[in-house]
Amino acid sequence: MNKPKLSRSGVPSIPMNEPISWEDWLKGRRARRETGNKVAPEIIRRPSSSSDQRLRKLFNGQRGLPFKKTEEL
Amino acid sequence: MNEHQIQSALAEIADETDVTVKHLELASLCSALFSERGVELVVVGGSAIEFYTEGAYTSGDVDLCVMASCEPLTVRLRQEIMGRLSATGGPRSWEVAGAYIDILGSFENLARTQVRTIAAPFGDVKVSPVEELIVERVLVSKYPQDYPPALDCAKKILAAALEGEVEVDWNEVKRLANENAYANWADVKALTNEQAKTLQVRGPFDSDERAD
Repeated sequence: MNKPKLSRSGVPSIPMNEPISWEDWLKGRRARRETGNKVAPEIIRRPSSSSDQRLRKLFNGQRGLPFKKTEEL
Repeated sequence: MNEHQIQSALAEIADETDVTVKHLELASLCSALFSERGVELVVVGGSAIEFYTEGAYTSGDVDLCVMASCEPLTVRLRQEIMGRLSATGGPRSWEVAGAYIDILGSFENLARTQVRTIAAPFGDVKVSPVEELIVERVLVSKYPQDYPPALDCAKKILAAALEGEVEVDWNEVKRLANENAYANWADVKALTNEQAKTLQVRGPFDSDERAD
């Protein structure tokens, strides 16, 4: 893999024509979350969907596992 | 992958409490096993958006489609492959290692740009082209009626793209938005410009704005 292009905040960009390494994808997680938080609410998981029954059964009444906090990414 | 490698991967995925990592690892393991049988999978929809944005969007399932296949992906073959993962359910949705995997059928894609690839721990994960996700989410956010969750998704993908966190071919975004299948160029351009303004970055369609 070539040296990754960097975003404005300096994290590896997910490239168009080559794979992003696992390490580089992990490095960009916090920046991607923080960028999204500037334009929309932090958690945008839908409150319900057609899969509710199976999801709530598996996740103790929730629709999935909780998201990791931004500061822990 | 041999049985020992599969069991070891499944144990790792079952223990993972970070929902996005868990889903990506599960997509990685499934993609590897299907690939061994000549079937290439691609992550679509909300799961794809999650991997591009960390948008805290997905629920407890990962959606995949079939991008290419050397032989017909029969119910028997799907059940056989998923059986190696000790999955329960089927024939299109399975519970594996504390999450759901849905394999939804053939990949519908008009983008001329490549699927993106994340070199995940158990094998490469292919992800639906970001250009089409942008155009599609903008469409769903407005038609058949306003749908705020899709608008939030569209904003987050656009923000990641405008900040350079995901490399995007903006010409392809414009081309897709002008296709009959979407026909929403005005909406895509307006939302892109709005997000660029919010983030205080130069918008990719600024010159279009002057030309209009």
